[in-house]
Amino acid sequence: MAKSMKLAGLKSVENAHDESVWTATWVPATNSRPPLLLTGSLDETVKLWRPDELELVRTNTGHCLGVVSVAAHPSGVIAASASLDSLVRVFDVDTNATIATLEAPPSEVWQMQFDPEGTTLAVAGGGSASIKLWDTATWRLVSTLSVPRPEGPKPSDKSSSKKFVLSVAWSPDGRRLACGSIDGTISIFDVPRAKFLHHLEGHYMPVRSLVFSPEPDGRKLYSASDDGHVHVYDAEGKAIIGAMSGHSSWVLSVDVSPDGEAIATGSSDKTVRLWDFKMRAAIQTMSNHTDQVWAVAFRPGGGGRLASVSDDKSISLYHCS
Amino acid sequence: METTGELEGEERRRLEELLESNPDDSSLHFQLGVCLWETQTEKEKAAEHWVISVKQNPKNAAAFTYLGHYYATVSVDIPRAIKCYQRALSLNPDDSDSGEALCDLLDSQGKETLEVAICKDASHNSPRAFWAFRRLGFLQVHQKKWSEAVQSLQQAIRGYPTSPDLWEALGLAYHRLGMFTAAIKSYSRAIELEDTRVFALIECGNIFLMLGSFRKGIEQFQQALKISLQNMSALYGLASGLLGMAKECRNSGAFRWAASLLEDARKVAEASIKSAGNSSCTWKLHGDILLTYAQVFPWTEESQGLEYNAETFKNSVYSWKNTCGLAAISARNSYQRALHLAPWQANIYIDIAISSNLISSFNQDNTLDKCTWKLPEKLTLGALALEGENSEFWVALSCLSECNALKQHSLIRGLQLDVSLAYAWAYLGKLYREENEKKLARQAFDCARGIDPSLALPWAGMSADAHTGDSTPDDAFESCLRAVEIFPVSVDITFYALPKLAEFQIGLAKLALLSGNLSSSQVFGAIQQAVQRAPHYHESHNLYGLVHEARMQFQAAIASYRLARYAINISLGTVLKSHLKDISTNLARSLSKAGNAIGAVQECEDLKKEGMLDAEGLQIYAFSLWQLGENDLALSVTRALAASVSTMDRISAAVSVSFICRLLYYISGPDLAIGSILKIPKELFHSSKISFIVSAINALDQNNRLESIISSSRYFLASQEEITGMHYLIALSKLIKHGTKHHLGFQNGVNHLRKALHMYPNSILIRNLLGYILLCSEVWGNSHVSSRCSIVDDSDSKNKEGLKSAWEISSAGAVACHAIGNSEPRFSFPTCSCQCTSSGAMQELQKCLRREPWNHNARYLLILNLLQKAREERFPVNICIVLERLISVALSNEFYSGKEAICQYQKFQIYLCASEILLQRGNIMGCIDQAKNASVLSLPDSFQFFGHLLLCRAYAAEGNLKFSKEEYERCLELKTDFLVGWLCLKLMESQYEEQPASNIFELAFKEGSEGRNNSWNMWMAVYSLGMGLICLWNQDFLSAEEFLEQPCSLTSAESCIFLCHGVTSMEIARRYHDSQFLSSAIRSLSKAHITSSVPIPIVSALLAQAEGSIGSRKKWERNLRLEWFSWPPEMRPAELFFQMHLLARQIASESDSSSRVEGCQSPLQWVLRAIHTNPSDLRYWKVLPKLL
Repeated sequence: MAKSMKLAGLKSVENAHDESVWTATWVPATNSRPPLLLTGSLDETVKLWRPDELELVRTNTGHCLGVVSVAAHPSGVIAASASLDSLVRVFDVDTNATIATLEAPPSEVWQMQFDPEGTTLAVAGGGSASIKLWDTATWRLVSTLSVPRPEGPKPSDKSSSKKFVLSVAWSPDGRRLACGSIDGTISIFDVPRAKFLHHLEGHYMPVRSLVFSPEPDGRKLYSASDDGHVHVYDAEGKAIIGAMSGHSSWVLSVDVSPDGEAIATGSSDKTVRLWDFKMRAAIQTMSNHTDQVWAVAFRPGGGGRLASVSDDKSISLYHCS
Repeated sequence: METTGELEGEERRRLEELLESNPDDSSLHFQLGVCLWETQTEKEKAAEHWVISVKQNPKNAAAFTYLGHYYATVSVDIPRAIKCYQRALSLNPDDSDSGEALCDLLDSQGKETLEVAICKDASHNSPRAFWAFRRLGFLQVHQKKWSEAVQSLQQAIRGYPTSPDLWEALGLAYHRLGMFTAAIKSYSRAIELEDTRVFALIECGNIFLMLGSFRKGIEQFQQALKISLQNMSALYGLASGLLGMAKECRNSGAFRWAASLLEDARKVAEASIKSAGNSSCTWKLHGDILLTYAQVFPWTEESQGLEYNAETFKNSVYSWKNTCGLAAISARNSYQRALHLAPWQANIYIDIAISSNLISSFNQDNTLDKCTWKLPEKLTLGALALEGENSEFWVALSCLSECNALKQHSLIRGLQLDVSLAYAWAYLGKLYREENEKKLARQAFDCARGIDPSLALPWAGMSADAHTGDSTPDDAFESCLRAVEIFPVSVDITFYALPKLAEFQIGLAKLALLSGNLSSSQVFGAIQQAVQRAPHYHESHNLYGLVHEARMQFQAAIASYRLARYAINISLGTVLKSHLKDISTNLARSLSKAGNAIGAVQECEDLKKEGMLDAEGLQIYAFSLWQLGENDLALSVTRALAASVSTMDRISAAVSVSFICRLLYYISGPDLAIGSILKIPKELFHSSKISFIVSAINALDQNNRLESIISSSRYFLASQEEITGMHYLIALSKLIKHGTKHHLGFQNGVNHLRKALHMYPNSILIRNLLGYILLCSEVWGNSHVSSRCSIVDDSDSKNKEGLKSAWEISSAGAVACHAIGNSEPRFSFPTCSCQCTSSGAMQELQKCLRREPWNHNARYLLILNLLQKAREERFPVNICIVLERLISVALSNEFYSGKEAICQYQKFQIYLCASEILLQRGNIMGCIDQAKNASVLSLPDSFQFFGHLLLCRAYAAEGNLKFSKEEYERCLELKTDFLVGWLCLKLMESQYEEQPASNIFELAFKEGSEGRNNSWNMWMAVYSLGMGLICLWNQDFLSAEEFLEQPCSLTSAESCIFLCHGVTSMEIARRYHDSQFLSSAIRSLSKAHITSSVPIPIVSALLAQAEGSIGSRKKWERNLRLEWFSWPPEMRPAELFFQMHLLARQIASESDSSSRVEGCQSPLQWVLRAIHTNPSDLRYWKVLPKLL
């Protein structure tokens, strides 16, 4: 492809939160409003921002520890936020009314994602070494997809803590779920049959973030790991397609643009990078953040917007053309 | 119908009547004509009227049109019709009826030129003559005048924006002009308007394929096939789209994906062949699909858990080869059919040659006589015979030929024909390399890279040069990495036969081994591809194993090494023994690393039998034997290793010696090991690594026998990292060497580290150890120093250095401080002068937990910090809930099921936290349960004590004094080293009626404080404070004062002790009217005021009262004012307002009162505020009437 993507800074909000900003996602547009940016922070709040000026719409409080993950329903009406104490709060985006509070017995909550239909919320279950699926109609726990433990000679040898699940991603058709563990393996599940399919290998440090390519038959899975690499997998074929290196520290977050052409990552090395998979290389590096970048998110539905949030308490918005 | 007929009749009658009265009105004639024309039967009459009409008004275009229709259809007088139409058009060029009719007439007569002329005329005369543009556009498309057609069609579309035909034609025009994006847009518009446009769908799909957007192309063809099931073009397009996508997948390395796409493509191509088997291009496509399939079909490992044995592996590789071979054979068959149908197509000869080459590479039967020309060569020559000027064919010949002279000739011939053939240059370079013509090779590669820098082969060639010593392994690795990464991207010619792919990947892995990049992700991906493509080659499995090993995945590594050995066994040619040795040694090492000592020993014994046990093998052997407890055997193997040290090079000798030292230490203990080490020749210790090992052994030896070796080997410590590491080790050894039986020599360690830190102020390793030791040393106040000396930095916390990381030290220090240092004085008034902020520690811990959610240590410290925060804020519900959740998460961690002391201890602390929270929230039963959980853990008595102490408190809170007493006595039995425990127990003791012999506590205190000279005073002060408090509870003020006076003279720091003493003294003064106590109260309270870092409420009020009692009004006033400011505004009690009223009344008479705080309101207002705050106090009400 001759045309290459390019990022240009649009707006940056310093001290958007009082403490490190840890997570961000876009809430899709509804009939009455444009898409909004949802961010969560160590300061125990969740904030909503209106693009492109990043004007603060509302601050939601209620968590007792830092907010580690936020997720938005595809309808754009509801969203969920989760804090370090594993409490998930589901709320109405426009009114901030609490819809449900999810408390799974001793498990943990890390990355969360609604499925493309919006009927299920998948939660990376941390130490429980599983993905928890919550029904979005009843807000009950409907299923637990456990990562099988390796059949080593010593099964009790702290193997479950190695399978600590940090990240989760739905395939675009909603039939597959991927989850990443801290030993670097990625597990693929068949959702309709609630069955584990296989592991994807290649990372050897925690996998922080996963995202499927948005093509309808998307079997391409992008992963970000502490080993500083972004991998591309054929999720069905159980094979690594390629690896991209460039970040000098952990890659904390990866997202793919709605057209599937560009990949963005945020890293502990304080940069946001834009990658071209065909070239296997970073085509642009943004170093406007002064601390590690916890999340990057492309706005769904085009328009070419990318948001990044960082430990430096700021939020940045870029135009992506 | 009848009614309309009647209406028409009426109309006709009306017109006829009008015409009679006005026979010269041309429009009436025209209208009547139209009316008659409608009736079908009287068309001649109608024509007559029109003729009259045009005679009267020759400008009536519509009439001419109707006349034209009449002549064309009724009287069939074509020339006249044409004339009428022409007349109509010249009058009104926009008239589409006559225009279309005229053109249809001309068309039927075959007068195309005239037709075009008329359309051009009309379109020239009026820009709104859309019919003309449309007609013209179609005609121009028909005549292949594409650019003119585009203009006409665009104009026509303005008039007919929803005509799919026009859009389709426009798309075709753009398509032919090469304006693909515009063409796609036009075709898509046509499809949008009418979704059954098969032509548009197929053409659109073809454009997408041409542009490389295979996915979009495939969608279009699938859409087309839904409408037209057996459409040949759509089937062909779909198959080639799938092939294109598969190639894309192959190029990016996704072989399995490519294979599954090719399977689909094959089905489509076969469907197309079924409906039309005589199309050469379909057969060629089928051949292409199968050839690609043979090239990409990956070897797949069995699903997890199934281990291969030699037989199953052989079968698996055989079936893989078989699948590939069969696909290649069917590909060749398809190509032959294609060639049979179109023998003039030279490139099919090349295709057959390539597939033949592939088939023979799978069969590996070199039965053909070397002298005769091989099939691929022959066929290539066939192609060249047809098209001798095709440079690519010449390159193909060079690739398929086996004779180097012919290769060189054909490449040069190809380059003569086209000098910019980059890959020809690359192949030429490769050829020269093989011929060992380095200089020529480099020139050729440089040419290739100059023309196309994205070509893989030159890069690979550059990396191959590394072996000659021209470049470092790192450079070579980089070059090869580039080759592997870009290789798939640039497969634009098919004779990059894929079995060669694995060569690059294997080469990359080998270079990675040399340059230490084995754990890199790119290498992992490459070697995985190599295994998929060359499962029969032992090296790919061996390297895969090495990569796994570098990533600490030992089980996978073991499996790979085993496969490598099977691969050696099934390969036909002779294998070097050294390969087998390498693989077996690797296997033994991985087995040993994976903890399978028995397996490792077995492998080593097998190697020994073959006589292939080298130094590495001996080390593994000895180590595994030691693991199995076979110490004697291990020692004998070590001896064999020691004997061979003298023959090794320096690096491996150093490795062997350090191994020997460590093993000796583990097997024979320090004394014997030191004896043996002293016997080893000194020059073997000339390495920094050995220096560390010897120093560590020496640290445990009180006699310092190894001192001389150490001092000589330390000379080899070079980098700052090594030197600070050595300081670290020395500090630890000082802890041991200068320590007593119960206490480590903390002070010596601290002293050494301070010096080291002075030399290397940026060494995080030393800082952290210093912090850790300070924290461990239990010296009052050191916890603050320790948090200060370690620097918490996010980027460094990932690489944990030393025993504890900075955040662990700082947050543990924060827990250790008795004053959490709340930023809001709403909850408490910290008297600690250090002003450390635990909120900072809390944030750091949360950040750490975000970074490493699995880190149970961070969670543990967060729980402790949160508990301190909750304690300070009087256990608010929300923090308690969070704590309970965190605790339940923490306890579910498998770490705490461990039996190690550290696990048990942390678990104990977590249980105590849980119990404490339940106690504070009033859930005594739960509290007792948790405390019991804690006290059953197997821990030293010193810790157990605290479990029972909590039980004791819980029972007391429940009112069950009997049980409480039992627990109390249990505590007395257990005893503890922690003085604070004794103090708490003492406080508990005061609850019971009877007074046991209290000197247990004094004894325990004396015992516990041995060796803690620094903090002895502080502990005594706290003890006295406790005793004083107990006396206060018992209303024994005089003894309380005695107790409290002691610490007041001991220490000068803690304001709370002064406060207690002051309060007690004041109470005594009040009760016994003893002014001496009053003055001592004033002394203590003043000190309390001075020493406290934040103003403590009540102190000043009491001081004011005391000063007031001895008659010092000024001091009373001043202190009362101070009191006002020492309260946070929202917490000021009613009494304070009341006191302020007194103050205000006092100074009401004075002049400059307004500037003071009490003057801002009248005494009345002050009292009203007091009453408002606390309406239940009658004193305030009593004062009120006096002020009104």
